Amino acid sequence: MLEVRDFSAGYQGNDVVHDVSFHVDKGEAVMIIGSNGAGKTTLFRAMCGLLRASSGVVLFKGHDVAGTPAQRVVRLGMGFVPAERHLFPRMTVQEHLSLGAYPKRPDPETMSIVLDLFPRLAERRRQRAGTMSGGEQQMLAVGRALMSRPRLLVLDEPTTGLAPKLAHEAYEALEVLRRQGLTLLVAEQQVPLAMAFCDRGYVLENGVIRFGGTSEELAKNPEVRRAYLGVT
Amino acid sequence: MTAVILDGIVLGLQFGVLAVGLTLVYGLGGVLNLAYGQMAVVAAIAAALGMDAGLPAGAAVGVGLLVGGVFGLLLDTTLLRPVYRLRGEARVLLSLLLTLGLAFVVDGLLTWQLPLEALTLHIGGGAVEILGVPMRRGSLWASGISVAVFVSLFFFFRGTMLGRAVRSIIQDEEGARLVGIDPNRMRTLILVSSGVLAGLVAVTRSMTIPVTVTSGISITIFALIVTVVGGLGSVAGAFLAGLLLGIINSVSSFYIGTFLTLIILLSAAALTILIRPSGLLGTPE
Amino acid sequence: MTARFTRGTGTSLVGGSERRSSRSLLALFLPVAAVGAALALVPLWLSDSRLMMGLAIGGLLFACYAIAFNVVFGSTGQLFLSTGALAGIGAYGAALLGDRLGFPIVVSVVLATLAASLIGGLLSWIAVRRSLDVIFIGIVTLIFALSFENLLLGLGDLTGGESGFSLESGSDTFLREQIPPYYLFLGLVLLFLIVHGLLRRSHIGWAFRALRDDKVAAELTGVNVARYRIYGGLIGSGMLGMAGAIYAFNEGRISPSTFSFGEVDVVVLVMLAFGGIGTLLGPVLGAVVFTVFDEVLVEFGQLRVVAYGALIIVLFLWIPRGVIPTMGSLWQSRRLRRESAGSSPTDPPH
Repeated sequence: MLEVRDFSAGYQGNDVVHDVSFHVDKGEAVMIIGSNGAGKTTLFRAMCGLLRASSGVVLFKGHDVAGTPAQRVVRLGMGFVPAERHLFPRMTVQEHLSLGAYPKRPDPETMSIVLDLFPRLAERRRQRAGTMSGGEQQMLAVGRALMSRPRLLVLDEPTTGLAPKLAHEAYEALEVLRRQGLTLLVAEQQVPLAMAFCDRGYVLENGVIRFGGTSEELAKNPEVRRAYLGVT
Repeated sequence: MTAVILDGIVLGLQFGVLAVGLTLVYGLGGVLNLAYGQMAVVAAIAAALGMDAGLPAGAAVGVGLLVGGVFGLLLDTTLLRPVYRLRGEARVLLSLLLTLGLAFVVDGLLTWQLPLEALTLHIGGGAVEILGVPMRRGSLWASGISVAVFVSLFFFFRGTMLGRAVRSIIQDEEGARLVGIDPNRMRTLILVSSGVLAGLVAVTRSMTIPVTVTSGISITIFALIVTVVGGLGSVAGAFLAGLLLGIINSVSSFYIGTFLTLIILLSAAALTILIRPSGLLGTPE
Repeated sequence: MTARFTRGTGTSLVGGSERRSSRSLLALFLPVAAVGAALALVPLWLSDSRLMMGLAIGGLLFACYAIAFNVVFGSTGQLFLSTGALAGIGAYGAALLGDRLGFPIVVSVVLATLAASLIGGLLSWIAVRRSLDVIFIGIVTLIFALSFENLLLGLGDLTGGESGFSLESGSDTFLREQIPPYYLFLGLVLLFLIVHGLLRRSHIGWAFRALRDDKVAAELTGVNVARYRIYGGLIGSGMLGMAGAIYAFNEGRISPSTFSFGEVDVVVLVMLAFGGIGTLLGPVLGAVVFTVFDEVLVEFGQLRVVAYGALIIVLFLWIPRGVIPTMGSLWQSRRLRRESAGSSPTDPPH
């Protein structure tokens, strides 16, 4: 479904991400792991069109979307939940969700699916995003992205700042979505969680993909164990 | 005293509508349009020219509003393009400087070519008594239109998809893009609306006092003051601040005098910036 | 490499291209002295014409304004839209002290300079304490300028209102002649250039540059943004006050329109944008060019306003770093292209 080839991107002429290649097949859950500053956020933002790409190809459902602005990429079916969430502070949960499917009117069925998935959002329908806690905001960001019924959902560090219990809940929700057929691409620093959830993964270091493989392979890789799983 | 306050409300409502145009454009991420007053004046003069040419008042007003909208469109598609490519401080700075230049260009051209042109709309009929004070019909019409504008804006922003989309761009541009909203289209819409609103205010103002080619700068200044006090980016803030400052203006002019009144209003804006930069109803950063 | 070194960062509108010449003070004084020498010769041509000398003095006055604005905006990134007002504080302050209160001229000038300096410093301090964004600094200073103008008009008994203030003091001194004041102002210009030049070279100047390019990074490296901005405000405003005060005694007549936003701020913006924001001699170049240009434009009445507006647009759209720096880097990149790939660049990277 998604194939990224020789993709580079950065800021003002300085590439942060160099010649990255990876792919995500339909129905898979793939992770990109790496420490702070590895370039995960830059990669995702450029991939989704929030940032200009320097070179490379991003094939989504067969079309190259590298360089396409975010508002159009989203309409093609790629939902993105950024690390900073980018919610609308003075708008309510209800308003967020109804905007999610822009320009189409919100589909009541989709709305109820999302609210079932995140009961806490349902309780707070009229609450403004600016007044919600970190966990609730994260749920809202995911819910908003789901309203457009994306084929691929890209999440950048969905568990940052969340207490462990909430982080688990987040992945439980993602599991539900996966079983319903959603393809997922996740960037994570909290590697064990991601590893338990995803089928495959890639390791991004200093803007370059070091290696990739199934979760089992990565879990057994000594470098990965040392750097990301805290095993000496 | 009641008369003074009522006058203040009439003025205040117009202040509010005036500020909405400016505050919306600022809400798009720090684009300060210092040529706003000129937008209003151009619209007013277009209407005046229409009336000179024999159009009935209603049609002339329509022409004026159209011209205002077109001004906004032109501004958006030409001068502001390079501004949109910048971010943050640089964007504010460039927008400020470019629109300042534009303000001078338009002001100069108008004063050069049409120095004596002015827009005045006479609303016939005798005075109407409100709370024991005889009010001119022109004032009442102006107020009525202003209120109607605010009510429509309220329903637009709360109740329509497009309105919510506009609010979302103002509150978080990236978030809006992630939902499929095109900032460029929204910006064009807002700029055009801002031009129409500026024209509308010029038209309502002309119902009480003539709007001349030199009014541009003072219109911009008042719009700026109200926008700052109300909160950059907040429509409700513009409404509230407009009323407040309109009343203050009226009371102060009556009891103190015009020069000091302007200083009082300017100080109100300065104080707002110093004490609570986000204004009455803006979101604190 | 030259292209990257002369291009400002994405967030900075006014990245200046400063060639890293040798560090000796000679390198600073030489250009300033050259400019001084060149300008010193001007009266030789113009001294017959009272009008032309008056214009020349006006040009030097605006050079002073432009240098001051350069210190505040070009070097510390504070958009002070009250250049005219601060000069007006100097002028009216000195005039009131000298004429109404009978203070000696020198004392009046010094006190007025201090007043302007303190007020400008206060504006900077407020902006820094409240962490005001550039837009708010611009708005607050604009408000200040408008208030000041209105205050002058409103307090007519004190200030002479719209018709202005005629000064008696100084009417019997050299200040009212043609040639000595020219050299006095030239001295001011050179003094201000040296002060600015020293600032740029000092620890403070290095901090100013870091600050202008990236405030956050500058803060992270320990640069005390706050303090340097306040210094910039104090020094720049003091310069404005001093120039305005001396001008008041020279011209003998001041009015609110002499120091209004449209008369001073807009013109200074254009001068600096043309000459190069952040450069040392840019303001002088801009002042010279536009004093001449303005004389030509006066013929055209209202179109003069249009011309300035158009210039602001053109300059900030296409040549934001100033005509000279842009031409300089164009020339440099052409020179480098002509040299083959084997040679190394002569200048160290920025």
